[in-house]
Amino acid sequence: MIVLTCPWCGARDSEEFGYVGELGARRPDPKAATPAQWRSYLYQRANIAGWTSERWYHRMGCRRFLTVERDTTTNEVRSVLDAGGLAEDQ
Amino acid sequence: MAEEVPIARSPIVPADPEVVAAGWAVSGRRSSAALRITDCMPLAKVAIKAPLGGAMAHGLGVRFGRSARQRWEIGEGEAVVLVVGAGPGEWLVLGPPRTQDRLRSVLCHTAAVTDELVSVIDLTHGRALLRLTGERSGDLLAKECGVDLADEACPDGAALRSAVSGVATDLIRDDVDGADRAPTTSYLLHCERSSGQYLFDSLLDAGAELGVDIDGYVPPGL
Amino acid sequence: MTVLREIGRAPDPMAMRLDTRPGEVVDRETAFTFYWNGHSYPAYEGDTIASALAACGVRIFSRSFKYHRPRGLLTADYLDPGCIVQVDDEPNVRGGHRLARPGMTVRPQDTWPSLAHDVKAANGLLGRFLGPGFYYKTFIRPQSLWPTYERVLRRFAHGGEVPATAQAPGGRPRYDKRFAHPDVLVAGAGPAGIAAAVAAARSGAQVVLVEEEHSLGGHLRWGGPADLTALQELRDLVGATPGIEVLTNSVVLGRYDDNWVAVVQRGLAGGAERLVKARVKCLVVAAGLLERPYVFAGNDIPGVMLSTAVRRLVNLYAVRPGTRAVVLTANPEGDATAEDLTTAGVQVVHVEDARRGGDVVRAFGRSGVTAVEVAGGRRLECDLLVTSVGWTAPVSLLTMAGNIPRYDERCARFRPDVARLPSGVMATGGIVGDGSTAELVAHGEATGREAANRADRLAREWRTMAPQGSGEGAARPAPRPESARIPELAPQPHPELFRGATHGIVDFSEDVSSKDLFTAVAEGYRYVELAKRYTTATMGPAQGKLETVNVVAIVAEATGRTIAETGTTTWRPPYAPVTLGALAGRSREPRRVTPMQPWHELHGAVPLVAGAWIRPDHYGDPESEVLAVRERVGIIDVTPIGKIDLRGPDVPRLLNLLYVNRWSKLDVGRVRYGVMCAEDGVVLDDGVTGRLDIDHYLMSTTSSGAATVWEWAERWLQTEHPDWQVQVTPVTTAYASVNVAGPRSRELVQRVVDDIDVSSEAFPYMAVRVGQVAGVAGCVLWRIGFTGELSYELHIPASYGLHLWERLLEQGRDLGVRPFGVEAQRILRLEKGHLIVGQDTDGLTRAFSAGLAGLVKLDKDDFVGMPELGWQRESGDDVRLVALRTADPALVPHEGTQLIDGNDRICGRITSSRMSPTLGRSVCLAQVAEHLAQPGTEVAIRLTDGGTAVATVSEHLAQVDLQGVRLRG
Repeated sequence: MIVLTCPWCGARDSEEFGYVGELGARRPDPKAATPAQWRSYLYQRANIAGWTSERWYHRMGCRRFLTVERDTTTNEVRSVLDAGGLAEDQ
Repeated sequence: MAEEVPIARSPIVPADPEVVAAGWAVSGRRSSAALRITDCMPLAKVAIKAPLGGAMAHGLGVRFGRSARQRWEIGEGEAVVLVVGAGPGEWLVLGPPRTQDRLRSVLCHTAAVTDELVSVIDLTHGRALLRLTGERSGDLLAKECGVDLADEACPDGAALRSAVSGVATDLIRDDVDGADRAPTTSYLLHCERSSGQYLFDSLLDAGAELGVDIDGYVPPGL
Repeated sequence: MTVLREIGRAPDPMAMRLDTRPGEVVDRETAFTFYWNGHSYPAYEGDTIASALAACGVRIFSRSFKYHRPRGLLTADYLDPGCIVQVDDEPNVRGGHRLARPGMTVRPQDTWPSLAHDVKAANGLLGRFLGPGFYYKTFIRPQSLWPTYERVLRRFAHGGEVPATAQAPGGRPRYDKRFAHPDVLVAGAGPAGIAAAVAAARSGAQVVLVEEEHSLGGHLRWGGPADLTALQELRDLVGATPGIEVLTNSVVLGRYDDNWVAVVQRGLAGGAERLVKARVKCLVVAAGLLERPYVFAGNDIPGVMLSTAVRRLVNLYAVRPGTRAVVLTANPEGDATAEDLTTAGVQVVHVEDARRGGDVVRAFGRSGVTAVEVAGGRRLECDLLVTSVGWTAPVSLLTMAGNIPRYDERCARFRPDVARLPSGVMATGGIVGDGSTAELVAHGEATGREAANRADRLAREWRTMAPQGSGEGAARPAPRPESARIPELAPQPHPELFRGATHGIVDFSEDVSSKDLFTAVAEGYRYVELAKRYTTATMGPAQGKLETVNVVAIVAEATGRTIAETGTTTWRPPYAPVTLGALAGRSREPRRVTPMQPWHELHGAVPLVAGAWIRPDHYGDPESEVLAVRERVGIIDVTPIGKIDLRGPDVPRLLNLLYVNRWSKLDVGRVRYGVMCAEDGVVLDDGVTGRLDIDHYLMSTTSSGAATVWEWAERWLQTEHPDWQVQVTPVTTAYASVNVAGPRSRELVQRVVDDIDVSSEAFPYMAVRVGQVAGVAGCVLWRIGFTGELSYELHIPASYGLHLWERLLEQGRDLGVRPFGVEAQRILRLEKGHLIVGQDTDGLTRAFSAGLAGLVKLDKDDFVGMPELGWQRESGDDVRLVALRTADPALVPHEGTQLIDGNDRICGRITSSRMSPTLGRSVCLAQVAEHLAQPGTEVAIRLTDGGTAVATVSEHLAQVDLQGVRLRG
């Protein structure tokens, strides 16, 4: 169980978080998307061995969605940011 | 067909003897054990959501991760409340029993002045609230909570949310004066109501080897 | 028959017990008896089961796994494969480690009918049939016999009898768990480990020192006077240094990512085990060295022991391990063993020095060693053969940190690559290299100081990030300077000794011989990982700690490669065995109950477990509960229904995004039913949402979907629309919720409300009102109709839920009110044709398949799942939810029963079915292929007995009150 350094709560066990998924393509325009584009957004993932950006949710803590940069081969985490850009001193 | 306000019931069945205090059925049990757990359900609990860094946040004066006792003018009187920075843009105000309506109206009034989007929600009945007191309360919590609660990481006044016995719980380090006025380690635990009995039982079970005992509720209890 | 005599006779009380030894751990003032194999034996406080029995002359403790050969002590510690026993109701107890206790009942395991006469010992005669891969080759065909094979094999398997409960005798819980957050955790408390712990604690670190044995000190404990003096000094240091938590009889099971370290603490009060889950800032591995057995013919005969076993028995337990000894030595520890034996009055008939070409060819004897043949063919009579031929570094915890050990032929062992350890993991002591006590201590001290430094840096980093600090100045001193130099600890040269001139046992737990490994290699299993799995060598209770390196060496020998080329097998957690009970911890299952639960329990409610919720399924007679609702009035506790408070000017935008239907024009005081889909168009949840005020809404969700929908809303708001002005607060259990349903529900609700007009005109269908109920202000009421009847859902501040429930029953007595449970509600809604998400829909059911076409507004600008639903509507080749009417009204097909078309192909399934008390016939919902969904179409139901029954697609989902008159009444 890795440690995620939540930008709000500090270092916490990953068990407190929910893994949402790899950050991929942005949501296509629902009015204009072709089935291929939409299903690529739904299902296609790069599944990179190495540094990835992914989304986690701090379910047991601040309840913020987070953007995590993690190396999938070593589980090293180099940044954890609030996905909505929220910050204490804004 | 208006009637008297009925007796309010905690999600935790009161340990014998059951007595009524401040309109609540509570436990009248008294314990002087070194490690005690108390159902503090009658305390008023008001949740606030407001923009970070805004006027409402400034007025509450407590940042996320900390809590502070404040003396508030509420309606006809004053009340000592505990303001908790419970989450990003999220606060919890705990007050003496039966103050929730007045706390809510004070907060709504303040919110109206700020012109910000603010939610003020009375969760007095919607959450369970326990107090764990004793030098070994940290040892007990270490059985059920994975967060480092050492003094350096979690000093008096700290507030955090984590899983306790698998239940999402607000933990507030709120030391109390012991018998000889020396500060005694104490934590408030605040969780969603329907899990209250389970959390209470789980802490009792975990604390059995540490001699944890049930201590009844005495108002105001804050 | 000698065996029988030995087992059967009254024990000779402590015939093999020596006079007091300087380092002994037994307390001769405290003597007691316990039971072994049905007989009473004496023991001293501090004795292990093995030492107490050995002191009485017991030499056979078990039968080997495959050939059921008699086995004695090999290592006389936790790892001893020959002494795994049943203690009272606890199986697989390590007799070389577990302390004897007054009255405990110890039995051998896996010996049938007795330890003395083991029927399965016949396997020894049939050994050639039990070669490597025997199980794979023999018990494979025919497949129909697998259950029989399983029964046969089970009788040959390891293992004692598992206790029936998780309670220890006396009712105490057997297992516990806790978390820990030490700065430094030291695994192993030999001289280097102790020194590391003390140095780290003196540097200000909070330290946990974990030792598998019952006392600190490692090999110093069985050493000479100088060792014992050093031992006392080190123990005094531990006692005098604050900040060290000492866990003896505890072992580190594994090291996982980010130094998540699992420790099992054994032997707590009541025999309990506790799992300590430690997030360690710096882990120091000081696991020492394990002595390696030697492979030769007869190496498993009782009386063949490792030198450390002998030194433990003699010096810790004052037990004479034999009377005439031959010692094979390749190192100073072996030499010291010969000296120890002499002081213990054992006649050392011969010392065979492997450093000068000496060797042991074979041992003779059946139930005990009688003679030994050494190099040159000389035969020596003896009853004890001691081997001291080398060491294995237990590198498990380091390999779990990604470190790959390398074979060093100069010292004949695999060594960790300490230069490449991650910064949070360090090693010290014998696992790194050899040295005098002073050198080991110096290495440990330097390592401990550096570990404290590294831990301090991480602690500062973490505390800077955490928001809980009081900001009143750091409690810690300023950071310490960068690392102190850690001295070298070079390994001493040692001859390479693995197998002698003959074949013998390699894995004592699994009864695998070197010959088996040669056979495996000959059959093509040339890689050590394959040979290991094929022969099961290293896969028994010792898990390779004694035998892995010998396996590697023998595979290397058999393949003509070097040991370095052969490489080692992977060391995985757990390092030591752990009970499943300790992993589970105290029994704990989150449980959610409503404020009315005490009433339900008192009134015979049959509980339904729904997720974490405990709900009344019914109160004894669900059919009559249904009729009460249809004919009079019923009340159901629906507190678990999800409730989410939504505030802000952009709530309608959020509702329009999450729900498939339109939300722009919902008046204050009105509620609307809505359905949510995921981005793939699959139905996610449903419920009603009411508008309480201009910018204030209350959303309801299904009970099971409450958390999901909350998170779903937060996700869209936080990640896609952080600019929207919406605040979301879950309030599910802030309210106790009661649905009052039935033709007389209005009358009943009228009697409990204080300031709300419930007349049909003032409070129409799909309206919401806020007011005072039963003396309680702040209640929310909405008029909806899941059951198909006139009904009101009352949401009251939860502390008054029981009060409201009792008030409704009391006030409704003359109306014939009855409580009803989830089962009656399911029947009622099925009669009405209302779907349940997750019951009548599944993980593939898109909105048009669920009969929700009228709800989906594809002309909205956007909503979650919109494109997929657009394409679904065009494609028209999906399934549809329909009501089915069975030709036989008494037939209630099981839920999940398949429907088949004229070509005997599956074309759908029953999703819900019940006998309807209202209609006196069965009612069903089903998903069927779209071309069969036309009303009047006949489909076949494939019954569980293989037969078929006919059913017809109904015109409407609802079977009761098709026009909804009752709802709107």
